[in-house]
Amino acid sequence: MSADTAGPETLGSLSTEPEHQDPNSQQAKEIAGKSPMRIALGRLAKDKIAVVCAVVVLFFIICAVFAGPISAAFGVSLETPLASERVDGLNQGLPKPEMGPPNGPFTMEHPMGVAPRTGEDNLAYWLYGCRVSLLIAATATLFASVVGVIVGLLAGFLGGAVDKMLSFFIDMFLTIPFLLAALTIAPIINDRFNLSDNYGTIQKTALIVVLSIFGWMGTARLIRGEVLALREREFVQAARVMGMPTRRILFKELLPNLAAPIIISISLMLPTFVALEAGLAFLGIGVTDGVSWGQTILKATNLTFFREYPQYLWQPLLGIVALVLSLNLLGDAVRDALDPKTRR
Amino acid sequence: MKRNKPLALVAGAALLTLAACGGGSSDDGDNGGGTDRTFGDQEGGTKDAERQGPAAEIEGAAAGGTITVYLPGDPGPDTLDPTAGWSVTGNSIQQALTSRSLTQYVRDEEGQPVLVPDLATDLGTANEDYTEWTFTIRDDATWEDGQPVTAEEVAFGICRSLDSDAFPSGAGTEYSKTYFEGAADYEGPYTGKDPKCENWSGISVEGQDITISMATPFPDMDYWGAFMAMGPAPLGNASKPPNYGTKPLSNGPYKVDSYKPNEELVLVKNDQWSADSDPGRHQYADEFVFKFNQDQAKVDEIMLSDNSDSQTAVSTGLGSDKYNDANSQLGDRLVQQTSQCVATLTPDYTKITDVNVRKALAYAYPYEDVWIAGGQVPGVTRIPANSVMPPGMAGKKDFQVDGEQITYDPEKSKELLAEAGYGDEPYPITMVFYEVDPLAVAAQDQITKGFEAGGFSVKAIPVQDSPYNVWLDPDNKVNKKLNLRGVSWCSDWPAGSTMLPPLLKGGAVYNTALFDEASVNDEMDNIATLPLEEQADAWGALDEKIMTEYFPIIPTAFLNDLFVFGSKIGNPTGDGSIGAPNYKDLYVMQ
Repeated sequence: MSADTAGPETLGSLSTEPEHQDPNSQQAKEIAGKSPMRIALGRLAKDKIAVVCAVVVLFFIICAVFAGPISAAFGVSLETPLASERVDGLNQGLPKPEMGPPNGPFTMEHPMGVAPRTGEDNLAYWLYGCRVSLLIAATATLFASVVGVIVGLLAGFLGGAVDKMLSFFIDMFLTIPFLLAALTIAPIINDRFNLSDNYGTIQKTALIVVLSIFGWMGTARLIRGEVLALREREFVQAARVMGMPTRRILFKELLPNLAAPIIISISLMLPTFVALEAGLAFLGIGVTDGVSWGQTILKATNLTFFREYPQYLWQPLLGIVALVLSLNLLGDAVRDALDPKTRR
Repeated sequence: MKRNKPLALVAGAALLTLAACGGGSSDDGDNGGGTDRTFGDQEGGTKDAERQGPAAEIEGAAAGGTITVYLPGDPGPDTLDPTAGWSVTGNSIQQALTSRSLTQYVRDEEGQPVLVPDLATDLGTANEDYTEWTFTIRDDATWEDGQPVTAEEVAFGICRSLDSDAFPSGAGTEYSKTYFEGAADYEGPYTGKDPKCENWSGISVEGQDITISMATPFPDMDYWGAFMAMGPAPLGNASKPPNYGTKPLSNGPYKVDSYKPNEELVLVKNDQWSADSDPGRHQYADEFVFKFNQDQAKVDEIMLSDNSDSQTAVSTGLGSDKYNDANSQLGDRLVQQTSQCVATLTPDYTKITDVNVRKALAYAYPYEDVWIAGGQVPGVTRIPANSVMPPGMAGKKDFQVDGEQITYDPEKSKELLAEAGYGDEPYPITMVFYEVDPLAVAAQDQITKGFEAGGFSVKAIPVQDSPYNVWLDPDNKVNKKLNLRGVSWCSDWPAGSTMLPPLLKGGAVYNTALFDEASVNDEMDNIATLPLEEQADAWGALDEKIMTEYFPIIPTAFLNDLFVFGSKIGNPTGDGSIGAPNYKDLYVMQ
């Protein structure tokens, strides 16, 4: 895994590197001047799937960051309209023909149509749903990976009693069923905070905390394993012999060598959390104010709406599928690019 | 009688009346070409004290088959103990099929309920001032084990209804406790450690005659007798709660085969029941299977598919999104049944003291929008309400508080607020909504929108518990902050005495408005002492007086149920007395 320090003992006869090159050749000189990161980025840029996925992810990020201005540009908002102005209560609660599909043509006032039963604008809810989804997933990933990396580094490097204790905590958290915990916490949060004016924010914060608490163990285990292997290597031994403080060894010697596993675990954690956020919202825990793809899907998975107005379900579903898929593929591509042993 | 379907809870919190006005219902929804449904007039019903068993055969009825009843979104009864039943679901199923009582309802040709004798040989005889009722128990009724139902057992069953600690949700807590003599001081056979019910003097048994003494005149005892709580229970430990609630001894045409709470109830034929002893019930199908807590969308698909399973099935609900399909496909097999229920908003009478503010709320409530967002069909499952007493109830007056039906009119609301002196800044409203159900959230969004347009500011508190649990708990910290609550209420029998006092008498459990006017309380007590024939009109007049003078409660809708019957279910009808399918008369076509 560790690209730049890989010595002959790891490459061995299984090496997939190109056959031995003349160090003075043109090709060898070009490579010589690049840092490992630049080599990886170069590889990534040549990977067509990676580029496409990066563009898709960028699109979602722009949608999330600029949800407000984009909504304003289209003249739509999250504001609740009077239902009877936009939907027909006697026709299964479907939007009126002048509001767009399924009974009329698309309109500029509501580019993605309006929701059945409530008449809320789909585009605005999609954009803000994207923001909620990415915000929660990114924050939870940040916390989970920071905790995971620190715990993994300490456990792996210090060993002994510290390792035993930290590993115990990792195992303990792994035994707690995530869904059960999330289901239990939702009513507690509600009971404690439902009088607060910031209930929505508290709800989202609680969701981030829950996701982080149950997301760090994988990273911690991965990093611990890597550190266990690395700490016996000569450069770490050398640093110890020279009397470097533990902190410096951890952050200056070990951490840079762990860039690849960390990036990989982050790139896989992000899509997991996006899907989990939507899943929890679908179950009615997590975000409950309606501004979430999961909540939209919950409302749209009604067989009549799906038959008469499939767009309503496809919109959030496509959002989740495209985002999760491209994040996953991008994560794979990053892993490949960072791993010198990958056959390509 | 409390509605216990979650959606009806939502209704209490939220849903309500058709705005015949602005935004009005569009007419182009009529694309299904189905039956145009209008509200069948529900009347108070009649009585027939002479009716004797066996019940008249249903034309074309055949024996055999299994009827499956799906109850979408309805958790069903918590217990099958007849004494504990006060929910529409439990009472409708058990009273019709397993647990007989003093009297019962049958459906006449016009669909109106008729009160007829059941275990009693007639509808009871009262003394002149209705303080003493005597019922003669018939001698040919039997339990499922073949033993005869004795007058002692009926008396013991009635005595059980006084135990409000053992059966806190039983209807006896409202009626037996209030009206029966000595009931207030008697703790009941279980709580009072009186297993043979010897310490209550209010009831006496002589041969087949049971005599109940009343503390206050109770002319509606014959109606109260139609509750299964007014039926027999085996003496002694055999009927001890809570075990008896899992498998009560049946004396009706069906007996309990298996019961899983919140899941399934299977009833099979009781071969000891004799048709000659029962003026109202039939025993056509071999088996009834009730499936609780069903998914509405799933049930709708099953019922509309008309496959071999759904042909012999009944559903007690229909999703509003399926209404057009069902209306055009099913014809007579889609039954609209008025449930004699009213959904209301209840402004806290102690906090919102100005009648104009309460009226402003009524004008700021976007009735039709709330119904649509909450998954109702305006004009079909919800119709506009003018007062608390449901349509057709004897004595109900056809009046409008402000001369015409109150509809969504935010301008009018602002005017009223200004008149009350709150024109400068928004009047704060605090209410709760059930955040677990997206329909309830959507309905709340509409309410907030309407109220804010009408000059109010709304703080909607999300709760994850039934709103009733908040509204009915005086110590609840959320409840203390509320100044707007709600309740959905159904009549227990067609009399104003089951609507007005439970909702609007000072101190009543479901009086979530905390309305307490001495003059109104006195009037309610007074009506109970009037001659029977004057009572209905007196209730109607009181209804009008309360609404026009105080306007303490905002009736937002009268509720209707939609029932779907499979194509091989014979006699698809609803039960006008309770808002449930007419289980007594169903059969499977062979």
